Amino acid sequence: MELFIILGLLATAFALVFAKRLSALVGSFSLQSFFLVLLSLREAVRGAHLDLYIIAGLVLALKVLIIPRILLNMIKEIKANENLGFFINPQLSLLVALGLIYLSWAFSSLVFAHQETLVKVYGAVSFTIISLGLFIMVFRIKALAQIVGLLAMENGIFLLASAVSGGMPFLVEMAIFFDVFVGVIILGVFVYRINKLFVGIDIDKLNRLRG
Amino acid sequence: MKILVILLLPIIMALLSLLIRNNKLRAIITSLGSLLGLICSISLGYQYLFVYSPITLFNLIYVDALSLFFVFTISVVAAAAALYSQGYIEQELEKRLLTLKQAKYYYILFNLFVFSMLLVTVVNNLGLMWVAIELTTLLSAFLVGFHNTKNSVEAAWKYIIICSVGIILALLGTIFFSYAFLFATGFKSLNWTELMAQAAKLDPNLVKIAFIFILVGYGTKAGLAPMHTWLPDAHSQAISPISALLSGVLLKTAIYAILRYSLIVNLCVGSAFSSHLFILFGMLSLIVSAGFVLVQKDIKRLLAYSSLEHIGIIIFGFGVGGPLGIYGALLHIFNHAVTKSLLFFGAGNIVNEFASHNMRQMRGALKALPFTGFMVLIGLFALAGFPPFSVFFSEFMILMAAFTQNHFILGGALLLLIVIVFSALIYHFSRVLFGEKPKGMATANEPFVGKMAFGFLLVFILIVGWSAPFFLSGLIEAAADVWRGM
Repeated sequence: MELFIILGLLATAFALVFAKRLSALVGSFSLQSFFLVLLSLREAVRGAHLDLYIIAGLVLALKVLIIPRILLNMIKEIKANENLGFFINPQLSLLVALGLIYLSWAFSSLVFAHQETLVKVYGAVSFTIISLGLFIMVFRIKALAQIVGLLAMENGIFLLASAVSGGMPFLVEMAIFFDVFVGVIILGVFVYRINKLFVGIDIDKLNRLRG
Repeated sequence: MKILVILLLPIIMALLSLLIRNNKLRAIITSLGSLLGLICSISLGYQYLFVYSPITLFNLIYVDALSLFFVFTISVVAAAAALYSQGYIEQELEKRLLTLKQAKYYYILFNLFVFSMLLVTVVNNLGLMWVAIELTTLLSAFLVGFHNTKNSVEAAWKYIIICSVGIILALLGTIFFSYAFLFATGFKSLNWTELMAQAAKLDPNLVKIAFIFILVGYGTKAGLAPMHTWLPDAHSQAISPISALLSGVLLKTAIYAILRYSLIVNLCVGSAFSSHLFILFGMLSLIVSAGFVLVQKDIKRLLAYSSLEHIGIIIFGFGVGGPLGIYGALLHIFNHAVTKSLLFFGAGNIVNEFASHNMRQMRGALKALPFTGFMVLIGLFALAGFPPFSVFFSEFMILMAAFTQNHFILGGALLLLIVIVFSALIYHFSRVLFGEKPKGMATANEPFVGKMAFGFLLVFILIVGWSAPFFLSGLIEAAADVWRGM
């Protein structure tokens, strides 16, 4: 189970880098969140704590179902060109991703030096997800990729918190879910506005303000 | 109890703004409520100065002198911005730049935005502090992109995206702190008070790594160079009362978060680590801002880059440290907040009058807008650091702190950069203010409440320039005591 979750999280992080179409990107994010649900369910069963079941349920509802639904509807409604648009082509992206995974492992071994290997592995996977999320935010042209990248980074943080520090306090976790949800709604509104004003959602057109 | 009143007031006003139909009434209620909040924050401050013990509530809220100083600063600028909004929004409505519906949303968001900033400064839990800071971004994003033009939407998009990435790094740092605490004590906690109590036991290397994430993360929100790229866009595109809030206090709430963490770090690894980082980022911010201020054409971007300069000076002051440096940096936070707000109000009126952001198209603002022009002239000298205005004294203290601690090169560089920005500001603004106004432009009739907002801020600039009143200096000294761990 452990291995299944870890590999699943890693594979979906790479799927984000490989995705060429917007809907594939959203789908990979949804799948990645599903593995987080599995992880929190396992913790919940192990700890037999109601809070953890609630958190798992919320991840399922928000990140696996609702947010991807919102994003997919958005793609349909603004009739966005499905092509994601690369500043860096997929092959080079793969190389960069491999480099990042190595750096994540090195960083994780440094930070969690006194911990067992499993914690280091979880640390490395979450740093990989965070850095790959940042990577697609920077090197993909469509505005929607920035939203998904941000969400993926948040997923990485969630993973790190639950794997190494036993999760955030319940109240904080709830507040973060609220923030993420509100954030997606607000970013969504701005995607609509960008689409209207700039005819399309290519962020390389957002270059009016300089100096 | 008063702290709850301070927090609830903006929420109540947001609700009232939603329910009330009349826009004038909405504006008046927001102003009155903000003033009431200011009065509460002053009375709470006095209460603290006599009892000298922190206020706590359900383990969620922890308010000491450092918090109260920021609450007071936020309340002052919020009250001024609420007063100024009355006239400003009314004018925009008359010119049909805004619809009535937008004006309603404006007041709702304005109040919620103030609430989120106040929340940052009073929560004990560092996770909730993170949530509150992210909330400030989300709530103010609409206020940045309010006019729904290409420029403002671009600014808002960059603002949310860059600040959210920054703040996610800060969340990573937060988790490292919680992990360090768990590792050292075997308990889970994110409460600042508990982290402080156990700070000496935390793993120093882990704390150093964590603090770098915090500094880069919240530093993005504070506008420290090189993470400042969203700042000039957002501050110049936001509606003017909001520009004042963004520059005047929003940046400082992020500074507040950094300070809270550096208190833990100082106890754990000594103060040299954080102070070197502060000096580095402070100097970088000063250098970047000096370059951009020189070549700026857009009046509001000019002010935004000047904020970058002042944030640099503040963080430099904390870096230099010592009693004088800390006092100066805290005082500078307040002085910059009131002075920059005044100038953004003035710039807002000037931009509306000339219907342009470009300073090359502005002439004779003193004749076109006599009152605003005069206020901007005073505010300009105050901001540039001319005696006897308040900014001069806080900058002077920070400089003295640098020299007395034998940072001669750094002090000299700081002085040089301040002088560069000083002359650039005077040069740009003298072309806007003096000369003949364009032909056919009538002398504008300025609304009375707008003038009140200027007067309100000017009082603070002048009084603090003369001598910090007991309340402010007492609060700052108490906050500096918190900083020294007393």
